Amino acid sequence: MPIFNRTSPRRWRRVLPAALSMAVLLAAPVAAPAQWLDYKTPGVPRLASGAPDLAAQAPRQDGRPDFSGMWFANVPSRDACRTGDCIQEERMAMEQMNMGRKLQGGLPYTEWSKEQMKVRGANGGREDPHTYCKPPNFPRAWTLPQYLKIVQTPKLMVILHEFNAAYREIYMDGRPLPSDPNPTWNGYSVGHWEGDVLVIETSGIRDDMWLDVQGSPITESAKVTERLKRLNFGLMQVQITVDDPKAYTKPWTVTIEMAAQVDTPMIEEICMDNERDVEMYR
Amino acid sequence: MNRALLAGLALTLAATASAHHSQSEFDFRQGVTVEGQVVKLDWRSPHARLYVDMVNAKGETEHWDFELPSPTTLMRRGWKRDSLKPGEKVTVAGARARNFPTIGYARSIRDASGKPLFTGFTEIYEPEKAPTGSVPAPAAKPTDAPGSKSP
Repeated sequence: MPIFNRTSPRRWRRVLPAALSMAVLLAAPVAAPAQWLDYKTPGVPRLASGAPDLAAQAPRQDGRPDFSGMWFANVPSRDACRTGDCIQEERMAMEQMNMGRKLQGGLPYTEWSKEQMKVRGANGGREDPHTYCKPPNFPRAWTLPQYLKIVQTPKLMVILHEFNAAYREIYMDGRPLPSDPNPTWNGYSVGHWEGDVLVIETSGIRDDMWLDVQGSPITESAKVTERLKRLNFGLMQVQITVDDPKAYTKPWTVTIEMAAQVDTPMIEEICMDNERDVEMYR
Repeated sequence: MNRALLAGLALTLAATASAHHSQSEFDFRQGVTVEGQVVKLDWRSPHARLYVDMVNAKGETEHWDFELPSPTTLMRRGWKRDSLKPGEKVTVAGARARNFPTIGYARSIRDASGKPLFTGFTEIYEPEKAPTGSVPAPAAKPTDAPGSKSP
């Protein structure tokens, strides 16, 4: 500690405030308040340019792939020009419109589902729970136009969602699915590993929920299996299988590709803060 | 996005709104243009709202209320909560609400010099179902707020 040897206690008392001020000044650029929106995410593999190396290997945790981080459907940002106006299109997975859009013949709806969807489709789909600021229910929530964030630990995965600042828990501690679930918006989820694939099984979903804007149902009879595979740093595949005999004549599977989002934070989006559209429907 | 708009564009796909709703309360075939002064940019979810006062041809002041994307979406496009300040002159073009004469959905906002401050980016576009006459992407880059970036 040479500085103490060269500086008397009295002098140190004099210079300490100045030293502290200098330390604050030196630290200030790091904590500048304007930088929160594009603050660099630590731990991201980067190219020489500083840009994230999206093709880098998937990170691992405890010998398994680590899905931690922010994600958004891997859809490009495109412009569309109509009637003289160029419009930046909404970025979201098109499965938000129709979960079965890539399936030949679409989702295998039961007659009950078809009747439900006639009602749900009336009035421009106004009765969509999402319209009324209801929670972002999975598996639909993978496709909503807000970011989600996975926080992974060895025994528990938490998925945070910007919309309504929501959360979902996935237990990875070996427990079984409940035999008498209390139905909820996201159901009850347990996960296990099959190699590098995280298999999430869910039951106990609330009855008669919506999977997309056109009102494809998911019901209390559903068992959902999501298989998460991290292809590299930048990409994750979410393969969703829905086995719901009330709503579908057979199980079906769709895959949503998610892109890692870095150098920006989650931003709270509380829908009920100033919801004004429902009153305009009346 | 809006089902009425989609119907108008002869799209078969159902549509959603930017952040949370069907937008069928707006008639996208009924365009509206409002020139006036910013009263307030209301920076709240699920949609930011822009209040604009316009003096109409009769000399009366109309109090307009325009829906914008969510603050989250706007921030990721370079906007800030004070990007439009009270008193600024703007021209807002958009769609009119079906049942409310001075409520609208903003598709573009220009400043007093005509410079675009915002072009709507809440519509869904599916190339395989593009309406006749549209220009396929990639098209001209819309001018967004300063510092615009794609998330």
